[in-house]
Amino acid sequence: MRASTLLSESLAVLGKELTAELRSRVALNAVGLFGLTTLIAVAYQIGPYRIQEQDRPHLLAALLWVILFFAATSGLSRVFVKEEDAHTAKTLRLAARPLAVFAGKFLFNLILLAALYAFIVPLYCALMGYAVQGVASLALLLACGAVALSATSTMVAAIISRASGSTTLFAILSVPLVLPLLVMLIQGTRAAAGSTTIAAVLPALQGVVSLGGATLVISVYLFPVVWHD
Amino acid sequence: MSAVSVEFKGVSKRFGNRSVLAAVSGTLQRGRVLVVAGPNGAGKSTLLNILAGLLRPSRGEVVYRNGDAPLARTHWFEHLGMAAPDMAVYEELSALENLRFFARLRGLHLEDPTLQELLDGLGLPPREHTRTVGTYSSGMRQRVKLAQAILHEPPVLLLDEPSSNLDEAGHGVVADLVARFRELAAVAVATNDPREMTWADARIDLAL
Amino acid sequence: MTKTRLRAVLQWALGVWFVLVILAAFFYAPSASGFKGESARIVFFHVPQAWVAVLAFCVNLVASLRYLRTRNPIDDARAAAAARLGLVFSLLATVTGSLFANVMWNSFWNWDPREVSIVILLLIYAAYFALREAIPDEERRGSLSAAYAVLAFVTMPFLVFVVPRIYWSLHPDTIIGATGQLKLQMESRMLQVLLGSLVGFTGLFSWLYTLEVRLARARLARRGREEV
Repeated sequence: MRASTLLSESLAVLGKELTAELRSRVALNAVGLFGLTTLIAVAYQIGPYRIQEQDRPHLLAALLWVILFFAATSGLSRVFVKEEDAHTAKTLRLAARPLAVFAGKFLFNLILLAALYAFIVPLYCALMGYAVQGVASLALLLACGAVALSATSTMVAAIISRASGSTTLFAILSVPLVLPLLVMLIQGTRAAAGSTTIAAVLPALQGVVSLGGATLVISVYLFPVVWHD
Repeated sequence: MSAVSVEFKGVSKRFGNRSVLAAVSGTLQRGRVLVVAGPNGAGKSTLLNILAGLLRPSRGEVVYRNGDAPLARTHWFEHLGMAAPDMAVYEELSALENLRFFARLRGLHLEDPTLQELLDGLGLPPREHTRTVGTYSSGMRQRVKLAQAILHEPPVLLLDEPSSNLDEAGHGVVADLVARFRELAAVAVATNDPREMTWADARIDLAL
Repeated sequence: MTKTRLRAVLQWALGVWFVLVILAAFFYAPSASGFKGESARIVFFHVPQAWVAVLAFCVNLVASLRYLRTRNPIDDARAAAAARLGLVFSLLATVTGSLFANVMWNSFWNWDPREVSIVILLLIYAAYFALREAIPDEERRGSLSAAYAVLAFVTMPFLVFVVPRIYWSLHPDTIIGATGQLKLQMESRMLQVLLGSLVGFTGLFSWLYTLEVRLARARLARRGREEV
């Protein structure tokens, strides 16, 4: 009987996160301002003309993901840390099934990342003079990257929220897990910038999708352990 | 509502080298209020957390029974309502939104009038129902917490210092609540308030 | 008593074995062509160290999964012991690899995918211990670090197989590609020494590992006695 309501419960958690976030805007401000500040620093110091023509594909793809990743790091851990800080975690733990909590928080982080990407990526392309050939493939890559990054960071956020010294720990724990993902995303972005065909980004896309998928699957098994202990 | 009883035997808890509880036993059942008394730091909250299944005992066991059939640990939370000082409700949401959220999580379809009635009954005036909890006094928050605990009419109710932050009227509200749930649920109250100890049908005294 | 004696014999055997491996590495194995001087001999120590680092990662995974099922503190101790050794050996493998790279190519670091994999492994181990330090409650420490270990293990195949593949497709002629070919046509005496060293290092790992686990078991037993 309860299985049919899992979706409704997950959406309840997501709805609660969105309402609370729209009223406090802490995560949105953190992620948005962090992204904007780094972007401006990079664009001002490097800009469209400081990079040699032959270095552009490599550097521009890597810089984009450095900005996106660090901006995200500042906000994604909040989904669980704030529950512990506000002492609502225990109340939520007793009322909700673990899977609904994970799904709701994962979706919230996904929306946060999507908003960040939609805000930063066009600005970055404009300020850095980054001409992307395969806009559709880049969009696809960003979407899959957001899913994979949200899955990993939601799990790590759940783990660190139950330890002390949370925010620094989030960076320490998530960097090694996210590095392979970032390498594939940077490579894919480079490929998307240089070619209009989807085939060019396919190897990176496959890697990102399978790593994201594997993380999601393992999270379904691991999250209840992390959440209840 | 089914009759759920909770039996605990020889429950001990250590945190590192510190022993917080040593071999505590007892039973929670409908019609009898169990009061857990003792000074601060004696392990009242720890015992309630263990009974709720939020903490694992270092030794001993807790058994939930629905009638005669034992309940798997994964189903304890569904039968449980709990209010405790470290169980807050969401400050960014109003009292009503909080209750709607917790009702939906528990798969209940409760209309707003029902929820408002519940808040009224706990002494939260209607004009406050739609203001965010962040603007509330600590006494008003405590009433929302209690509403959250009894929302689904749980067969097991655990109250940790239920009248903390409450005035005389609030204390009366809690007394009524306990009297009502004595007939409906297995109730445990952790307290060091002498007035609340008079509710006890059974009592466990914890020492430091 | 017999168990103690067996341990003593095995320890001596391991010591003798290592002496033989070291001697063989320098005097029995021929020097490899295509390398600067005698630098290739480091392979007899570097490869087994990397192997033990990965082996420790696998032992850590198995112990972590067991802990999540049994909640037995000794399984948590097993996972931590494996990770501790994994940290040491991945550090050794990184250092020896980097020394070799410096002799061969005049650069301690070349961002070869395999170098990156071992460094990420190192980072994962470091993060694992940072997490453990931050959780005072023992049970929670056990289950959260086990969960992290399992989560980290998921990324491993991608580090080892997927990322290098994407990388190769862009850089077909990286410097390390040459050693890859050399290793395939390794001379038989070199192969013997390498295999011998692999056995030795695996033995060393299991000795250190059982030592740590026995120590943890003794600690748990002592605490159990104190509690009663």
